[in-house]
Amino acid sequence: MAMQITVNGEARTIAAAPLTPLVEVLREELFLTGAKQACSEGFCGACTVLVDDQPVASCLLPVGLAEGRAVRTVESLGAGNGLSPLQAAMLEQDAVQCGMCFPGILMALTGLLERRPDASEADIRTALAGNICRCTGYERIIAAALAAGAALRQPEGATP
Amino acid sequence: MAGSANGGGLYLATSLPDALAALAERGAAGAPMAGATWIMRRPAGQEGRDGRAYVGLSRIAELRQITVEPDQVRIGACATHAELAAVLADLPECRVLAEAAGRSANPSVRAVATVGGNLCAHDFAAADLVPALLCLEAAVEVAGPGGTERLDLADFLAMRANLEPGRVLTGLVVPRRAVRSAHARLPLRVAGDYPVAMVSLAATLDGADRVEAVRLAVGSVEKVARRWPELEERLQGQALDPDGAAEAAKGVLDGFQARDGVEVPGSYRVRVLPALVRRAVAAALA
Amino acid sequence: MNASMIGLDLPRRDATDKLRGQTRYTVDRARPGMLHAALRRAEVPAGRIVRVDLEPARRMPGVRAVVGSADAPGRSGMVAGDQTLFATGEVRFVGEPIAAVAADTAEQARAAAAAIVVELEPLPPVLTMAEALAPDAPLVHPDWRDYPQFVPGGQRAGNVAWEATVVRDDVAAAFARPDVTVVESTFRVGRQNQASLEPRACVVTFEDGRFLIETSTQAPWTVRDTTASLLGVRPADVRVVVPAVGGGFGLKFAFGLEPFAALLARASGRSVRLANSRRDEMLTALCRENAEIRIRSAVTASGEIVGREAVVLMDCGAYGGEQPFLASMTAHTLGGSYRLGAVRLVSRAIYTNTPPTGAFRACNGTYNVFALERHTDEICQAVGMDPVEFRKRNVIGDGAIGATGQVFEGDVLGPMLDRMAALRAKSRKRPAVSDGRLVGRATVVGTWFILVGPSAATVNLNPDGTATVVTSGVEIGSGAMVQALPQIVAHSLGLRPEDVVVRQADTDAAGYDVGVGGGRTTVSLGAASVAACQEVRKKLLQIASDMLEAAPDDLVLEAGHVQVVGAPQLKVSIAAVAQRAQAVTGPISGSGAFTAPGTASRPGCTAGHLVDALDLPVFAVHECEVAVDPETGQVEVLAYRVVQDVGRAINPRAIGGQIQGGVVQGLGYALHEEVTIGTDGQVRQQGFETYRVPLAQDVVPVEIDLYEGAPSIGPLGTKGAGEVPILNVAAAVACAVANATGRPVREIPLTPPRVLELLDGAADELPLPHIKARWEDNLLGTGAG
Ligand code: FES
Ligand code: FES
Repeated sequence: MAMQITVNGEARTIAAAPLTPLVEVLREELFLTGAKQACSEGFCGACTVLVDDQPVASCLLPVGLAEGRAVRTVESLGAGNGLSPLQAAMLEQDAVQCGMCFPGILMALTGLLERRPDASEADIRTALAGNICRCTGYERIIAAALAAGAALRQPEGATP
Repeated sequence: MAGSANGGGLYLATSLPDALAALAERGAAGAPMAGATWIMRRPAGQEGRDGRAYVGLSRIAELRQITVEPDQVRIGACATHAELAAVLADLPECRVLAEAAGRSANPSVRAVATVGGNLCAHDFAAADLVPALLCLEAAVEVAGPGGTERLDLADFLAMRANLEPGRVLTGLVVPRRAVRSAHARLPLRVAGDYPVAMVSLAATLDGADRVEAVRLAVGSVEKVARRWPELEERLQGQALDPDGAAEAAKGVLDGFQARDGVEVPGSYRVRVLPALVRRAVAAALA
Repeated sequence: MNASMIGLDLPRRDATDKLRGQTRYTVDRARPGMLHAALRRAEVPAGRIVRVDLEPARRMPGVRAVVGSADAPGRSGMVAGDQTLFATGEVRFVGEPIAAVAADTAEQARAAAAAIVVELEPLPPVLTMAEALAPDAPLVHPDWRDYPQFVPGGQRAGNVAWEATVVRDDVAAAFARPDVTVVESTFRVGRQNQASLEPRACVVTFEDGRFLIETSTQAPWTVRDTTASLLGVRPADVRVVVPAVGGGFGLKFAFGLEPFAALLARASGRSVRLANSRRDEMLTALCRENAEIRIRSAVTASGEIVGREAVVLMDCGAYGGEQPFLASMTAHTLGGSYRLGAVRLVSRAIYTNTPPTGAFRACNGTYNVFALERHTDEICQAVGMDPVEFRKRNVIGDGAIGATGQVFEGDVLGPMLDRMAALRAKSRKRPAVSDGRLVGRATVVGTWFILVGPSAATVNLNPDGTATVVTSGVEIGSGAMVQALPQIVAHSLGLRPEDVVVRQADTDAAGYDVGVGGGRTTVSLGAASVAACQEVRKKLLQIASDMLEAAPDDLVLEAGHVQVVGAPQLKVSIAAVAQRAQAVTGPISGSGAFTAPGTASRPGCTAGHLVDALDLPVFAVHECEVAVDPETGQVEVLAYRVVQDVGRAINPRAIGGQIQGGVVQGLGYALHEEVTIGTDGQVRQQGFETYRVPLAQDVVPVEIDLYEGAPSIGPLGTKGAGEVPILNVAAAVACAVANATGRPVREIPLTPPRVLELLDGAADELPLPHIKARWEDNLLGTGAG
């Protein structure tokens, strides 16, 4: 039976069975293929989305438990065709390689920086404890997150 | 709304009586679901869903509450690890539990995984909360058709795999005592994997800084976490110091039936315990 | 030509979409009416197939096609046709495909695959190389003699899938010299799973009598040709198109799931998607192979290596795959880096009833360098020399003779060792470790190569003044196709990199290419593109010479214009020339090609080698500092430094990203990532819970110095930089841990339990009785085999 979820600010009606993992609903029903399902066990973080502003492994969340809640995916970042400060910092640092991990890493870090734009390097590494990047060796991602945090702390800072 | 009628294999209950009724109706096929992280992960070999009729508890407001009372903390079964860590951050006597809740798994799992789920996952030996709660002498509350009953955590752990259908862990009660406590865990990387061994410690010291009472629990070493009475006995009445405690631990390692795993052999889990005891004591004294 | 494009840190053109979640990888693709496929895989490591009944699957809901071994008659393999698409006659490893199903949903496909009846008569499996080499061992391929041979004259027999040997000069005499110390070491390494976040996946459609394959691959032409041979169709009837690839690291250098989906697409008349789950990838990825090594050296008191011999056993699993090729690399890696007197080496690919292994970034170079560098440190200990001093004296330099007799050009490793000392001196000081942990540091060297081989490129000059470069090159994340290649083309044609369009890889559009791997993109595709640009340039100047009334030799391409040398005001835009060309000669395009130039080795000293000499060697010097916890066995990397030979850095920042990423993969290999096979023949690590790749808290920023100026046949003096960063990491970590603990590291990964064994002194010896004491006895034909 249909249920309602707010996805990237829009109310969406979901047809999938309630035990379907949220990531599969996002990818297969809503065609939001940003989030990746790279392990289905909560260990890679490629499927991380924000649910009511908290980073969540969407492979482990039955869509039924997301009913009535607000889900944000990587597709929501940046206004219009722009990039969020965090995305812009990743571009600036030449952080991207194959790119598969970024949809999840960006949401994990967006969740962190929205709560704590002053997050330290150690906080950032800790926040990424559930996100695998097989390509980059992480350092540029961390540098970009620190830079984005600094940008957000400027008086007219936007959202991460 | 009288329980979202999601149909399928998941029914979202809106109140405890609603949940109990739904479980009673589903009988042996029914099972409660809280954060679902353990149920949903696709363990090796199981690529499909398990076909059970789940009753979701996470909408039940009272089960999500964490209440700090003067002499105890009441924790609803559906409180998440992240919520628990946040509430306990200001309670020094619950430090062991705050650390266990705040460092388990990874942040995007902690945001969803619940206290109740952690205690009920009987095939999950590396659950962080269990040893922490054991050393705090927590009690659990189990609701069922016949009302709510309170059990010692250790007793609950022994029976949880065979809990009759229709009975649900609703919460737990952690006594507040003036203890020094700490949780020492050993993942193989810095973080992100399940700890291969854990030591949780809670102790009270007398005026001369000797151990008045101490409770130690060990997790992930055996199939189920348990207290470590031999070491508690050795530390009793002694000055609490990290190296002394580690030394004492070395003398009482024989009793563990350590589990072999893909990640480490059982012998490794036992061997690192003295180091974890040292870390736990040092952290508790700090 | 304008030099300004080279050495620039240009951004990646694919980064914005990747950051916005808009990039559609193969796993994100769908087609109208697309079916989902599932494989039925073997659950035992060895067994005779008594019966496979596909009928029950055909009766399951949603099922549209079911195929099995009868549908794929062909054989494949590099040196011998030892592999069929589906297990035929016997199953040889847990996870081997037996049949495939396509259905409306993935769940239906899985259910139907499970319904297929498979009756097996279990056979005793051979799970280790020791078992495979035992006298009277069961043969993994009892019919090995009957397979088609693709490389005549190769040495293979029984459980030895391939054997490559080098014998240069009189090794026995060297070891018999009275003035030498003989040092012998043994080593063992485990497998490493590539674990690209995007698993192997494809979507295949059968249309107009041809297969259209969209797939996540590094080697579209290999997929085209292998699919054709396994299915028994013409290669020209297979078209391979490659969307963005979510990581490969060598896994996707071989064919993957494409032939299964192709069969199902043809049988169902619908598009078919097949993608591996993480568990599938853990069970069946073509891991870097496990290996066992014995190496002996005869060294004089002054530290001269007068004789060296080694035996390397590489576990190729149930099928040979790429291992015969990789066996050749032992000569250049284990036999590399140092000046040697006499040398003899054998590397043998051994069949076992385990999942086939394959290529993974720097392949066997990683463990051969580990073995060589640990052995070198043991030599230094035996003759009482400082390890860095020993290396400075013995590394190969200009005119040095390699193991196979090739003559090296230029002093590279020596100066790189000096640069490492300078890099260390610059490094930020850390507080001393004072918590009881043991600290150690090591500096190691390594030799690897750029896989050259054939590439083709076409460059079309468009009337708007832009250029389109058409190749079969794939962007797998390294940036070579989106950064270096447009930079090279822009440089050659006087354009801006953003004026160079890079065509997505498509075997219908571009000529043959070996594939993206082995650090070859910049070199081979770069060289082919430069050659194509030369033709374009020639045509361009011809037309422009009429327009400007100047001789072509007096014209240069600069900033989007053709201009007269010495009279920069006399110029015409490249766009105007391209438009003019349309009217005069027709559109301007050029084609270019590249292949291995071939480098001489000493005739007759190798056998079974598919690479006799290195056309383009690459060198690396790494240094690592570690702290070892004596109570838990955990190793923390405190600092890591790299001096890498890059020839010429086209995009230094992109190379830095490759080095950081490659080193971190190497740290996983050295410390955390373990693949073990249970007594049931099944890989025990079935997901990221137990297969532990490094996370953000486990790594350090790598301190980097790019060494430019070494001789290179690459365009503009480049060398590929993406593969080699992982080469020395296991060596550096292992040598540092050995120095910290005072114990000989013989095995990786250095997981905490293994480090405790090391500290206990329980790992000082590593007996390998299946490697015979006399080197000759390890050879087919001469010894026991
Ligand atoms: S797919 Fe969800 S954590 Fe890996
Ligand atoms: S960029 Fe490839 S996994 Fe992170």
